[in-house]
Amino acid sequence: MSEQETVTIEVDGRAVEAVKGEMVIAATDRAGIHIPRFCYHKHLPIAANCRMCLVDVEKAPKPMPACATAVADGMKITTDSQRAIAAQRGVMEFLLINHPLDCPICDQGGECELQDLALGFGRGVSRFTEGKRSVEDEDLGPLVATEMTRCIHCTRCVRFLDTVAGKKELGGMFRGERTEIKTYVGEGIRSELSGNVIDLCPVGALTNKPFRFRARSWEMLSFPAVSPHDGVGSNMELHTLRDRIMRVVPRENEAINQTWLADRDRYGIEGLYSEDRLERPMIKEGGQWREVPWEIALRRAAESLRGVASHFGPEALGALLAPTATLEELYLAGQLVRGLGSGNVDHRLREGDTSDQAEAPPFPYMGQRIEELADKDAVLLVGAYTRHEQPMINHRLRQATNSGAAVMTLNPRRFEWNFEPVLEHAVAPGRMVAELAAVACALAKGGKGKGADLPDGVEALAAKSETAQRIAERLKVAERPAVLAGNMAAGHPEAATLRALGTLVAELAGGPFGVLAEAANTAGGWLAGAVPHRLAGGAEAPLSGLSAREMVERGLRGYLLLNVEPEADLWNPAAARQALSNADSVVAITVYAGDALKESADVLLPMGGFGETAGTFVNSEGRWQSFRGVTSPLGEARPGWKILRALGTVLELEGFELDNAEEVYRIVAAACEGVAPGSRYPFHKGAASAGSASGGTELAGAVPIYSGDPLVRRSQPLQHAAIAGQAEAVAAAETAGRIGATDGGMVRLEAEGGAVELPLRIDEAIPADTIWVPAALRERVDLGPPFGRLTVTAV
Amino acid sequence: MRPLREYVRSFLLVELLQGLRVTGRHLFKRSVTLEFPEEVAPKSPRFRGLHALRRYPNGEERCIACKLCEAVCPALAITIDSHQRADGTRRTTRYEIDLFKCIYCGFCEESCPVDSIVETRIDWHLMESREQRVIGKERLLEIGDQYEAQIAADRAADAPYR
Ligand code: SF4
Ligand code: SF4
Ligand code: SF4
Ligand code: FES
Repeated sequence: MSEQETVTIEVDGRAVEAVKGEMVIAATDRAGIHIPRFCYHKHLPIAANCRMCLVDVEKAPKPMPACATAVADGMKITTDSQRAIAAQRGVMEFLLINHPLDCPICDQGGECELQDLALGFGRGVSRFTEGKRSVEDEDLGPLVATEMTRCIHCTRCVRFLDTVAGKKELGGMFRGERTEIKTYVGEGIRSELSGNVIDLCPVGALTNKPFRFRARSWEMLSFPAVSPHDGVGSNMELHTLRDRIMRVVPRENEAINQTWLADRDRYGIEGLYSEDRLERPMIKEGGQWREVPWEIALRRAAESLRGVASHFGPEALGALLAPTATLEELYLAGQLVRGLGSGNVDHRLREGDTSDQAEAPPFPYMGQRIEELADKDAVLLVGAYTRHEQPMINHRLRQATNSGAAVMTLNPRRFEWNFEPVLEHAVAPGRMVAELAAVACALAKGGKGKGADLPDGVEALAAKSETAQRIAERLKVAERPAVLAGNMAAGHPEAATLRALGTLVAELAGGPFGVLAEAANTAGGWLAGAVPHRLAGGAEAPLSGLSAREMVERGLRGYLLLNVEPEADLWNPAAARQALSNADSVVAITVYAGDALKESADVLLPMGGFGETAGTFVNSEGRWQSFRGVTSPLGEARPGWKILRALGTVLELEGFELDNAEEVYRIVAAACEGVAPGSRYPFHKGAASAGSASGGTELAGAVPIYSGDPLVRRSQPLQHAAIAGQAEAVAAAETAGRIGATDGGMVRLEAEGGAVELPLRIDEAIPADTIWVPAALRERVDLGPPFGRLTVTAV
Repeated sequence: MRPLREYVRSFLLVELLQGLRVTGRHLFKRSVTLEFPEEVAPKSPRFRGLHALRRYPNGEERCIACKLCEAVCPALAITIDSHQRADGTRRTTRYEIDLFKCIYCGFCEESCPVDSIVETRIDWHLMESREQRVIGKERLLEIGDQYEAQIAADRAADAPYR
């Protein structure tokens, strides 16, 4: 508020500072004076249609809506004068005319703004004897339940979907008493942020569908938590009842998720108590699974890890760690494997190319704060579909476009954005490097001169591309540009080159380069030493090991898996399945015992799931956020760090005498002292690998929004959502025509991993000679990596 | 002066005679002791005894799982789990009352918006093991079914005073 002009107004005899031009209600909210309201929300445009906020303004002939009356110096406002109260009571009476009076069966009961205000402003007895209006419900999909008879037409949901989520998916139909809030086409809501309308709806018209009738707001306990599903680290509250997590609601943090929450963060929890949840330690004997006490399972796990290390040498042992694990778990797992003499530790499960790791910054950093993204005026997204990868990052980008920013993309396909990108450059994945190099060249030639000269070898990589030229021109004129590499860039087989070129483009454009983290602890894993070449805090590891991709492709004799599902979480699922079934021993510390895991593992140790473990996530900005376990782990499961501690103790390794998770935190935090975030990936000549030559049909794919981690994959409501990933092959009409395949027909795809048959869908968003197959789905495991070469035939 | 008077009175056995007078009076009064269980005392329609869950005449359970009784219970004796029944209505999957915790205050009945949970006239219920102190939804509905006529009559009798 420092630079803005302030005025002083008087509210109920109290002097209140207000920013010039803001609405009365904003000033009183800040001052802690409550004015009743239904339609006003600080992050939504003002509609002033509910009239609940009427207040008395001195010299005004009638009460004024506080949410739509701008402050003026010396304004005198009374919120509790007779006239104001009478006006509010009148509004309330009108609202209740058509409102059903059955709070006891309403899911909003107990947390309903209408209920609360009716207590303060409602009449004891209704004077209305005529019939009440009732409205037919509409199916908005598996996430939001509707009871539209309860709607009071505040239009918060309409305004949210329009201005924040970016698509007008709901609107007011008909007029006057017959007004109804409906979808325009009757197809439900497709937004990835749809759950927020639940929080916004002041009444029980829109409620949480999976949570429906499960519990009451007053009986649940609320605990702060951090979302495990992406690198944003959205803040949320977990509501628990009798030691079970019931639902998730957002926790306000202006710097991260404001007051919003992506559906993935809200409904991911529905997968927590899935049927294949592992509750007791199990070992495989003669091909049969048997439940055993912890001591036996731990001893067996220790024996098999030791066995591999002594038989085949420690380098035959590797650890694949989930990037959704906590900082503490990642650190201990790294220590464990290193204690056994192996350097094979990695949490970059879905990364295709880590050849730049030696020179990489301490952790993948987005180059700026999340908030700052909203102020950018030009952003180039490389291999990123932020809308599904990091919805809250996308939200900021959308804010930027609202104030005129140009968002450009260089992706292996076009996507459905919720803003207008000024340019979507969709090229076959094998050409992405060439195109990005072309952008760099074009920028260097233009001579903005802010960055370094073009290093040797960039020009040789560059393609002749007019679109790249246009991207460069737009970046050139930008004052606050940024280049961001997303999940698809990380999964690209030439990710390192893309990062180096991205750095270059950003430098030449005079803005930051950033890497958007895929998982909650992608950044934390680097800091905790869950990478093969570095220890906690970034110190060089004495024995450098293999990356996740190498561990899987070369095939080791023994694996330690930390909450990893080999068929969905790894870059090359076909190779992963092969490697694990060939291995002599696989010890899995896991939340779920999926079928694939049961097939390949020998020991299953049940670990506490989300919300059941204390820990820390480090987000893309390098923000450390700790949280505690809010319920006890299911059955005999234990927090991951405790399992690792016990395993370390059984293995008689050093450094595992720990009392609590905070102790681990302190060790990592001490190691990370003085670690400065950075996002510079230097370019080297000859960086591009052999794969860059294009030609033939290319495979491309990204992890669908609700397939990223074991928890979200088990969330049934999300899996049934309209935007959940489907196993299909998508291609442009021309490509399909060349194969001789038709829309809806089956095609056979053969890649290095194997072959699969999938239905084909024709979509012009896919560039020529490219087949898009969503990654991380069970049906496509045989195809191997998300990108590569393949042959297609119509079946 | 006072101690002296007390001293004399104690020799005259005044208190004893006063006491005997009460005894004598009661000796000839009509006895009010009831030979329980052959005889039982009359009860008010407001009597708060064992709980029951009621149904509507069409057989549908009244309870809508609003959880108000659970919230209001000062002894935390009620435990409810709720869900959405296949027909879309809000219903309990578990409704338990711990009769050892319950203090028979009747708040649950007061709070119920659909007159589902009631306290009946039953004051004589036995249990043979500790576990039986918790009665569940089936049992509560059974009691309701069995005593519905009485329950309904009692509510009707009390209605004019509410
Ligand atoms: S929306 Fe609010 S006021 Fe209306 S029935 Fe539900 S709880 Fe009651
Ligand atoms: S009578 Fe009182 S103590 Fe007993 S269950 Fe009802 S509310 Fe609880
Ligand atoms: S018994 Fe009555 S108060 Fe208790 S949950 Fe059922 S409807 Fe609500
Ligand atoms: S809050 Fe002011 S009119 Fe609705």
